[in-house]
Amino acid sequence: MTATLTPRPPATRRTERGGFLRALHAEWTKFRTVRGWVLAMAGALLVTIAVGLLGTAAPAPGGRGAGSASYPKGPGGEAVNDSFYFVHRTLTGDGALTVPLRSLTGAADTGTGRTAQGAQPWAKAGIIVKESLTQGSPYAAVMATGGHGVRMQYDYTHDMAGPSGKAAQESPRWLRLVRSGDSLTGYASTDGSHWTEVGRAKLPGLARTVRAGLFATSPEAKQETAAGTGFSPAVATGTFGRPDLTGDWSQSAWSGTQVGGDAGTSGSYTNTTEGGFTQTDGGGFTVTGAGDIAPVVGGPVMGVGFSVENFLVGTFAGLIVVIAVGTVFITGEYRRGLLRTTVAATPLRGRVLGAKALVAGGVAFAVGLVAAAITVPVGERSARGRGFHVFPVTSATEARVMVGTGLVCAAATVLALGVGALLRRSGTAVALVIASIVLPFLLAVSGVLPPGASEWLLRVTPAAGFAIQQTLPRYAQVLSVYEPSTGYYPLAPWAGLAVLCGYAALAFGLAVVRLRGRDV
Amino acid sequence: MRDESKSMKATIEVIGLRKRFGPRLALDGMTFTVRPRRVTGFVGPNGAGKSTTMRVILGLDAAEGTALVGGVPYRTLRRPLRHLGALLDASALQPSRTARNHLLWLAHSQGVPTRRVDEVIDQAGLGTAARRKAGGFSLGMRQRLGIAAALLGDPPVVMLDEPFNGLDPDGIVWMRGFLAELARQGRAVLVSSHLMSELEDTADHLVVIGRGRVVADTSVSDLLAEASGGRVTLRTSAPPRAAQVLHGAGATVLATGPDTLGVTGLPDEEIVALLARNGVPFSQVSAHRATLEEAYMELTRDAVEYRGIPAGETER
Amino acid sequence: MSLLSGARLASTAAGAWRGDFGRALCAEWTKLRTAGETGRLLLLAVALTVAVGCGTAKAVKCPDAGCGQDAVKLALTGVTVGQAVIALLAVLAVSGEYGTGMIRTTLTAVPNRIAVLTAKATILTTVVLGSGTAAVLASLLAGRYILPGNGFTEAHDYAPLSLADGPTLRAAVGSVLYLVLIALLGLGVATAVREAATAIGVVLGLLYLFPVVTQVVHDPAWQHHLQQISPMTAGLAVQATIHLHELPIGPWAGLGVLAAWAAAALLVGGLLLHMRDA
Repeated sequence: MTATLTPRPPATRRTERGGFLRALHAEWTKFRTVRGWVLAMAGALLVTIAVGLLGTAAPAPGGRGAGSASYPKGPGGEAVNDSFYFVHRTLTGDGALTVPLRSLTGAADTGTGRTAQGAQPWAKAGIIVKESLTQGSPYAAVMATGGHGVRMQYDYTHDMAGPSGKAAQESPRWLRLVRSGDSLTGYASTDGSHWTEVGRAKLPGLARTVRAGLFATSPEAKQETAAGTGFSPAVATGTFGRPDLTGDWSQSAWSGTQVGGDAGTSGSYTNTTEGGFTQTDGGGFTVTGAGDIAPVVGGPVMGVGFSVENFLVGTFAGLIVVIAVGTVFITGEYRRGLLRTTVAATPLRGRVLGAKALVAGGVAFAVGLVAAAITVPVGERSARGRGFHVFPVTSATEARVMVGTGLVCAAATVLALGVGALLRRSGTAVALVIASIVLPFLLAVSGVLPPGASEWLLRVTPAAGFAIQQTLPRYAQVLSVYEPSTGYYPLAPWAGLAVLCGYAALAFGLAVVRLRGRDV
Repeated sequence: MRDESKSMKATIEVIGLRKRFGPRLALDGMTFTVRPRRVTGFVGPNGAGKSTTMRVILGLDAAEGTALVGGVPYRTLRRPLRHLGALLDASALQPSRTARNHLLWLAHSQGVPTRRVDEVIDQAGLGTAARRKAGGFSLGMRQRLGIAAALLGDPPVVMLDEPFNGLDPDGIVWMRGFLAELARQGRAVLVSSHLMSELEDTADHLVVIGRGRVVADTSVSDLLAEASGGRVTLRTSAPPRAAQVLHGAGATVLATGPDTLGVTGLPDEEIVALLARNGVPFSQVSAHRATLEEAYMELTRDAVEYRGIPAGETER
Repeated sequence: MSLLSGARLASTAAGAWRGDFGRALCAEWTKLRTAGETGRLLLLAVALTVAVGCGTAKAVKCPDAGCGQDAVKLALTGVTVGQAVIALLAVLAVSGEYGTGMIRTTLTAVPNRIAVLTAKATILTTVVLGSGTAAVLASLLAGRYILPGNGFTEAHDYAPLSLADGPTLRAAVGSVLYLVLIALLGLGVATAVREAATAIGVVLGLLYLFPVVTQVVHDPAWQHHLQQISPMTAGLAVQATIHLHELPIGPWAGLGVLAAWAAAALLVGGLLLHMRDA
């Protein structure tokens, strides 16, 4: 069918700016004057909130009381584990500590009373300078690890690699940490005379008097079995030679403290060990500890707690509703022939679809945003009140999650509108869009598929969009299960949302092409 | 905006439209013009291409050829409803939206003020029903709502597809007066129907189509005169003799019954004079006045797609 | 209204029911057969079920003995996807008629509304039994060929999938029945809410929301209860062949939960159909 009938002069289309606004106004009037749609959108808001709050309304874990649980927060406001065995004195002003680490060993429970020897890859022993014994206070440390060589770490999230290799009796690993103002420098050596700088940390505003000394800690042992990933208690023991001090150190004896009181959420002592230290002949120390000095991440190491996205589980319920409304917004016009009236009133068909997408998507965005803005704070408060950990996030992240939830709803609605315009059948379109968004998510998180396949699903299907809700961080220096089943998406938040938006844009674009090229 | 619509010609020009639905030629060189200040009837049997032509005029369907509203293609109009108001399918409504809200969104799409919505509600005689959900409307009420929508932009051209459908006798009378009033106001009005009788007292001009093309584009009186063709029916007890006499005077004579003859080529008074002069007995001489319906049947005989067998002819 | 329903009841009581039902059955079968999309949807359901089953079987490895995987359940994973198409088919069988107004023609032809609904249910059950059996058998067959290549071998305590094995047979039969019940659930919901978009939204919401919400519930008891009432999770318990004691609900009891959902939906749908104006 060659359409010689409609030589649309492009000039007319370009000069007319008010036209789109009129189409938009008309579509908005259409939308708000169908009570069913308005009620459905209000319903979407309510179910998003209700499902989210009910889903996270479980009673307190293990009878813990209100307010008993909250993660320590690091200097950056992030949730941290700060549990280790600390042998310390106070240091005032500048100074340095040098010590040979003769060995780093460890033990882990492997269930049924058996014990496996060996340090965990991220078991740590070394020198730490820490503002106070309070969890979450600023620190810098140079340490040997079970499997990642010498590291310089500070303020929980920063990790720098030094020389690789393990400390051993015959070849001790020499460590040195030098404080100069708010600057701390870590060094490593294999002989005590030739030193390599491992890293330098700036701890702005570090108090003049700090705690400094030796530490040992170990996160739980991660065990991969075919049936899944398990974590079991593990400890680390560092055997140090005699520490060499320079600067203004307190005259009191070395004292030992289990920082945090227990091993935190990512560590635990084995049945047969507890934290402590002994002084050896010749002024050396043996320090045994469990726990971790690291940011909290998701997965089993997070402990019993909620992350922000957990409160937004109702998004799925809300999505189903906005998808149905978005579809019917266009298929209803096809079914009744109303689209002819619409196109007669607004002959530019792309403009009609654009206005519809903006109206339906805009309302869906508002629904998602408002629902998230209500659910998250209410859910957090209520969960804390019942004694749950709530994974803390920055306001920027929280804003991203809320706006992102709105955008997910909007993109899904536009996708539904596009698919509806292409298929012209509401039932089929709704089923297709819901299945394409919710099913991949379900299959990915259910744990049926191996992690690789699950991640692939969350990369290439519209379900990738839920990545925008992920607040759990991922750190190379913390072992966990970074998989869809524990709330980790393979794509970065905005990249995941972009995939969903890509599908929406594709469906919308095809719908515009199809609508332009066809008789209505 | 007002100026733009008032200055434009109140016309629809359709030139050589061609459209194919698969193997079927729906429009086959459709050409006609709708002029201002009169009601143009657009008639043809079902499937002749009336609705397709109207959809092409509205830019809804693509076709070869040209269709212009006020001299320009519909799809280039900025506020199209201010140039052409159309009623295609009165049932094309969202049932849960009230009539007034239906008009409201249309008004918003054209930048027409809300006050105009209430005006057309009155004009179309919707009254209090305007606040009811359109889903509960009878077909007649839907037609009125469709008319109101067509008038919304106060357009110089109005195009209505089968507006008499579903109207009760009162409604039909109202619609006729209403269409005449629109034409009197200077608008060009195109009204389609598959029943000539609906248009008989309404249309000033007729475009009769069949099988996708125009078979007659004429005024109502011309069409009637042409269809009558000056045929006279003669009832006589001596048909052979009458035929002989009339034939001798140059008329064409056909036996149409045992005692009736159809005569063409002679006016009725001359036939009476001839027969009297020659002493042929006759009981009745009547000039045949064709109805518009018959003229239409005659014109579209070949164009009817699906013809039913008359009831009397079916076998028992 | 009361007069009309009285008339309907009278015709039922008069023993005309069988005739009504027979005619409705023929009519529904012709409708479904000539709808065009029915065949395509059934094919799609089978194809999706088998394809997803194959994909899962290909993706999951069993590196050593005691890898804890349920080979039968893996091969039948596609049912979770195929059910969406089956639900759609069931919804469209009713909503399609409401959308076009054909339901009035249907109810004029067979005024006994319950007979119409029963006929629809019977026809749906029949076609889903057929296509479901095809999908399940094809999935198991595909699993039988694919899984041994991924370590599901005798050495790792996995016998080739076979219907001669009791639990496997139960999983296969149960999966077909599961699909039938999903169709009936869809039919009931669609009869109750009429509109296609709403109906499919409700059905898929019922199926998929429970497992999603279960993900975030920390309390084991709550989790357990949610899984027990979830039509999908409980219903699919029938596919399990190992670790039966760890299931939130027994295989057949789980299918019973889904059956209860379907029955409730049909009951509500039937009541509304009976009482409401068409």
